Amino acid sequence: MNTILYASPLVPVEWLAAHGVRPIWWRACDPRRIDAADCDVDRRGEPGSLLRGRRGVCPLAAAVVDSAARASASAVVLTTTCDQMRYAASWLQYQRRLPTFLMNVPSTWETETARSLYLAELERLSRLLVALGGTRPSNEALAEVMRDFDGARARLLGIRDRLLGRDLAAALITVRETAAPNEWPSVADSVPSSDCRPHHDLRQGGPLRLAMVGGPLSESDYGLFDWIEQAGGRIVLDATEWGERTLPRVFSAESTRRDPLSELADAYFGTIPDVFRRPNHMLYEYLSRELSARHVHGLILRRYLWCDLWHAEVAVLKACSPVPVLDLDASDSEASSSERTRGRIEAFLEMLP
Amino acid sequence: MNHPPRRISLEDWDQRYAELVDAGLHEPAYGGPLRRHAESGDRRLTRLQLDNSAAALQLWNFLLTEEQRLRQAREVGWQILGTVKDLGTIPVMAYALRRVVAFYPDGAWWLPCLMEDQTRVLQTADSLGIDDSFCPVRAMLGAFANQAHFPLPDLLTCSVGATCDDVSALAQRLERMGHPILWWEVPHRRQPEPGEPAIPLPGGFHAPACQVALVQAELTRVRDALQAWSGQPLGDRQLRAGIGAANRVRKLLGELRWLGYTSEPCPLPALEMLVAEMLAIHFCSDQPESIHVLEQLLAEVRARVTAGLGVLPKHAVRVFWVNPVADLRVMNLLEDVGGRICGTEYLFCHALDLIPEDLPPLEALARCALADPMVGPPQDRSQRICREIRRFGAQAVVISRIPGASHCGLEGLVIADMVRDRLGIPVIEIEVPPITDALEPSLRTRLEALIELQKR
Ligand code: SF4
Ligand code: SF4
Repeated sequence: MNTILYASPLVPVEWLAAHGVRPIWWRACDPRRIDAADCDVDRRGEPGSLLRGRRGVCPLAAAVVDSAARASASAVVLTTTCDQMRYAASWLQYQRRLPTFLMNVPSTWETETARSLYLAELERLSRLLVALGGTRPSNEALAEVMRDFDGARARLLGIRDRLLGRDLAAALITVRETAAPNEWPSVADSVPSSDCRPHHDLRQGGPLRLAMVGGPLSESDYGLFDWIEQAGGRIVLDATEWGERTLPRVFSAESTRRDPLSELADAYFGTIPDVFRRPNHMLYEYLSRELSARHVHGLILRRYLWCDLWHAEVAVLKACSPVPVLDLDASDSEASSSERTRGRIEAFLEMLP
Repeated sequence: MNHPPRRISLEDWDQRYAELVDAGLHEPAYGGPLRRHAESGDRRLTRLQLDNSAAALQLWNFLLTEEQRLRQAREVGWQILGTVKDLGTIPVMAYALRRVVAFYPDGAWWLPCLMEDQTRVLQTADSLGIDDSFCPVRAMLGAFANQAHFPLPDLLTCSVGATCDDVSALAQRLERMGHPILWWEVPHRRQPEPGEPAIPLPGGFHAPACQVALVQAELTRVRDALQAWSGQPLGDRQLRAGIGAANRVRKLLGELRWLGYTSEPCPLPALEMLVAEMLAIHFCSDQPESIHVLEQLLAEVRARVTAGLGVLPKHAVRVFWVNPVADLRVMNLLEDVGGRICGTEYLFCHALDLIPEDLPPLEALARCALADPMVGPPQDRSQRICREIRRFGAQAVVISRIPGASHCGLEGLVIADMVRDRLGIPVIEIEVPPITDALEPSLRTRLEALIELQKR
């Protein structure tokens, strides 16, 4: 089966899966570390220039491209949701080592023009998938795949409170690849039982309830969850780029039956609150709603160096948030960032009211 | 031309101005000695070498009085439109309206350079959490916040989609600060697929017909909003007139660039050529006057070319320059070390292309917006750069990185690779912050090395 590598929550996994290809979420490596093994060759077969560590380049966008260039997938699908990723995709196209589909996801979202562009891009993606050996799904087939993934997300969200932060984060990625529940960590393994509860609760009655928002967390970042839990906190809302915030809304059964593609577009493009949207008030409405519903004590904003979109929102988040905000910027240098980050998390939890 | 063309300091300009006045210089209302701009804040002028012609005097005076012009427009009740990010599309529409002036708030980009550390715009941006990991356009946020520069526009438009993250993020901040924004979408320009209808764009690119139609729909939305806002019709007749006036500017610039970049010796310094090119974007808030200013400049250049005179020694090394410099002084520096500009891509070459006049106006403007080199992949931009290098006969390329710009981390790789691959000429990448004084020795060394390489 053809595999399609992708890394944007605005690409509906159902659309990929319904074409009979295997969606693989990018999860290759630590965006901040450059290994000798990563050394690559360029389009002329000469030692290639890795993008990671290049001044001005978002480490995440660079890591996606550096590893996608060596991936064995049939194609990679990236989106125009930020300029850094747009340029990274162009670099990959320039290198010509893996078919790269750059999906235009409009920044504006309140107009019919924007919605029609998104739909047209799904159609264009479909043509690529068919060219790669996939099959254009019938409405019924698409609707069935949508129901499967909807069910999978519902099941995952149903147990989210019983999963450790890192396990939930991993499952939120898995559910962007497959609707099969046996791919998830076992709740029994993960549930914060008395043994694995945070080592030192700072307050009686349970850990500090935290939300995390910001750019994507790769697997190498999951240590953040451990530190938070060890410091007496617990992430009750993972609103990072690849977390719960960017899951599509629940599909309407009626619309899925009537016009599944249109419903898919509405559930993804019409409702996912993200930082690149213009205007971006949906993001703040989401946070306001969820922070209050989940009784959050503190908010951690995690962003990459050179990520203008999240960086510019730091001051706004601090001003709007009903709870204290910790701004964690992840620089290129892993070691210093780890030490510094851990210390800052601990200090933040200590000062929470 | 009693005085041979030369680059002179601001000090020399005091004397030169007095001589011009004695000789009966006729100046527009915004005229006067250049010294006054430096005294009222534009201190960078004291560090620049400027062309010594009356036409250049007028060009600088026109540029440096824009804020004044905007304030006067406000005083007499004209409506002010701020066109953020879009380089050369919405202003064409706006100037088709009466009693409306459009300007480019992102032009605050140059305030930290022009005013050196006198302006507080960067400190204000810092205080708002926008530090130097953003490109110098963060000065725009500071300028909106401290309100010490341009008057606040009555309406803001901002193009988003395939645009830089810097402006998109800052414009969103502006909206949160209470400045409503009319956002319009420009999609990433892609190659038409096999069998998909393709439309030629000014400047030589092609776009799928559906993308042109989409941008046209967005411009129709903007047009409707401008009509409602101004209370004036903005139909095809008005838009055609607006396009005609914009093309007048572009034609003047076309000839100016050709003469300026191909004549030997170099007839006009790089700095004045840069300022002239910038007029294409938004006409420095007065379209008819920008035409007049460019006509004077072109007349001066024609006269110099006819007389075989120039501002630099013959056979200066011919350099193609990519991206605008945050510090204008670097344009002087290139000439100081024996180079000259022969072709540019200052991020807005599409604003120099003629707008088709034989198409429905909004379709013509949609094609122009999609022709923006930054809207497509850097491969397209590199291709255009290669074409222009050949056209102007440049011998070397300088890619001037803009600190913090979301596109600069990567695009330079592609441009440099393609230029070397296709043309086999040397390319260097330098980074130019708003004030380069501390870096000048190293910048000078790098530029010298490039020039020396080509002189051999
Ligand atoms: S972290 Fe920010 S800059 Fe990097 S890819 Fe995501 S949105 Fe773009
Ligand atoms: S220099 Fe680049 S990043 Fe800065 S405003 Fe212009 S296009 Fe955007």
